[in-house]
Amino acid sequence: MADLLFCSRYPFTSQAKDYVTQSGLELTFSLVEKAEQRVTNALVSGKVKRVAELPEAREEELAIYAGARMIVSSAANRYIINRYAVAEAKRAGEYLASDDASNAEYVALVAGEFGVKFEKKGKDFLVPLAAYLSFTPRSMDYKLTNREVEKGFVLVSRHERIRMLEEAVKKKIEESLPIRAKFSEDIAEAGKRMLSLIPKIEVATVSVGQENYPPCVKKMLEDLALSINLPHTARVALAIYLVSVGVPTDRIVDYFRHAPDFSEKTTRYQVEHIRTRKYNMPSCSTMDSYGICIAECRCGTPLRYRDAIHGARLRRIASEKKD
Amino acid sequence: MDGHTQETEPQHAHHAPRTPEEEFLRRKFSKFYEKSRLNVLRPESREFGFGGWEKKIEFRHIRVKNEEELRTRLVNEAPLYISHSVAYYEYPDARPMVKKNWLSADLVFDLDAAEHSCGKFTCQHCMEKVKEEARQLIEEFLLPDFGFSKGELSVNFSGSRGYHVHVRSEAVSTLDREARREIADYVTGTGLLFDRLFWKEGKKFFGPKPTDGGFGGKFARAFMKRLEDEEFALSISRKLKKPEEKAKLLSAIQAGNYDNIGIANREEKLQEKFSQMKLTLAGRIDSNVTADTSKLIRMADSIHGGSGFAAKSVSSLDSFEPMRDAPIFNEGEQKVKVTEAVPVLVIKEHSFGPFSVGTTATLPLACAIYLLCKKAAILA
Repeated sequence: MADLLFCSRYPFTSQAKDYVTQSGLELTFSLVEKAEQRVTNALVSGKVKRVAELPEAREEELAIYAGARMIVSSAANRYIINRYAVAEAKRAGEYLASDDASNAEYVALVAGEFGVKFEKKGKDFLVPLAAYLSFTPRSMDYKLTNREVEKGFVLVSRHERIRMLEEAVKKKIEESLPIRAKFSEDIAEAGKRMLSLIPKIEVATVSVGQENYPPCVKKMLEDLALSINLPHTARVALAIYLVSVGVPTDRIVDYFRHAPDFSEKTTRYQVEHIRTRKYNMPSCSTMDSYGICIAECRCGTPLRYRDAIHGARLRRIASEKKD
Repeated sequence: MDGHTQETEPQHAHHAPRTPEEEFLRRKFSKFYEKSRLNVLRPESREFGFGGWEKKIEFRHIRVKNEEELRTRLVNEAPLYISHSVAYYEYPDARPMVKKNWLSADLVFDLDAAEHSCGKFTCQHCMEKVKEEARQLIEEFLLPDFGFSKGELSVNFSGSRGYHVHVRSEAVSTLDREARREIADYVTGTGLLFDRLFWKEGKKFFGPKPTDGGFGGKFARAFMKRLEDEEFALSISRKLKKPEEKAKLLSAIQAGNYDNIGIANREEKLQEKFSQMKLTLAGRIDSNVTADTSKLIRMADSIHGGSGFAAKSVSSLDSFEPMRDAPIFNEGEQKVKVTEAVPVLVIKEHSFGPFSVGTTATLPLACAIYLLCKKAAILA
């Protein structure tokens, strides 16, 4: 017998999913409206509202969640997916924090969903190293170096444990979306309306009109605009590229403005540092080994992409063909 | 996915003709690979890279179906360097990297004497130092902190001046770059902060206990040990001359309560000692190697073309002596002409040199191959 209260609080769990499949919940018109409201709240305020948990509303909550996922999927936009996932994770985090006091088995169940088992040690908890590294936010507060690490476990506080689960929920939702399916008319319509909620500035940055930038650079700019976290190596490579092709620092800093952990001061300092030290652009093979090469342009270095596409290389290939 | 091999550049294309030395070495290496042990787990899922006289990795994105195909290629092509990915891929030869479909990767640590190296030729002192660092990595980080078992670790000499430690543990095999970077930062003590290990509660001052995990415990233990040294103790406070004062400090550390240690400016003093000691507590690894989930790394037990030594698997660091245990061409002699000043060197039981430029000498094969690989001699 599924625990409906648990399912409605944590609709991303397998228990909740099973319930939805077995009970054949239907998405009525009014539920689609509520689902759209859920996504809208996530996008506009960054929050999904917690509602009064009347027993008769629990099933409905599950259907709304399913509907919200369909709407987000139908919009099929990374910015929407990521922002929605953050909001759902926050909602789950709030429930986890209150359940931790009164309903501890719920917390253990959610942790189990991610294959994580916390062991109590004093007033703190031990978590396996890999889970710690996978589910903690990358910040100084969680730097492994300053942690108690012992026999493959890391010590975390009660609060940090909840924060980790929140991060895990975010990742899970991000990775599970978009669902590839054909959606009904009303879902598709709602999806379209969501696209209009993307802040204008984001759209503007994506279409920077830099047609001549190599695919890897374009991709990094797009990712940044969508608040996707770029690894450090990618950020450095991108900044070197932009500096090298003569983009002014102010403009480069603006590109980074949407990074989830943006700091104007640090970014400006680092871009200037790259400029004064005249950093060399990583070669294509280095970019590839960083995992940020996404196409096979055969230009040696991203800086030569324009030449490669429009200039010498094309001519050479043409002459080779004649031979 | 076989189509991808055709996309790679034609191999051996624009190549300078090989020198007699390169030909000589390749013939010897080829012979070696006919019978050698090929020490690579799941070769079918790895990307291989082969190197030559000019570059340690000349060709990469190489895929082999099995150990036999690998052997055939090694015997036929006799690369001077053989590397394979730390990663396991679905399509090891696909390009670009994203198309390889990364499945998982060993967690690797690269220790290299280059950091305190004194020159081109292998130096006993540096080799000892890097061996000690490898031991520290294993005994102070990998086993106690990360909780790996000895069976999950395999250690090999790099073939040149360092060691590689491979961790094959399901628990960490799918960690991404960022997570591996955290592991590397931990080992190197990057981002270690005094303020995170010591804290105040009201006026009280707390810090790490020797039984704590992580750098806190490491510091507390090392600090207690250092206090045995009179000079060190007195540099904190003159009072520590008295045994009862020292005992009081030691028991305070035991309890992690640094509050009542009777030392003026205790915070500043502790901070100062912490800054001095933290470097000795940290490991020295190449963090970029650990963080790189698609790194190509020397195949264990293959020949390193820069020395002619084997990148030998090491079962016990204590008893391993690279200059004695890693040379492989132990039979025969070869006459060479020295092209660069060579100091006194000892390989196996053979001591040779010093040689000045132009000297011709007939040397035991391992010694001659070493000099040829170092490009410090030519065939004579």
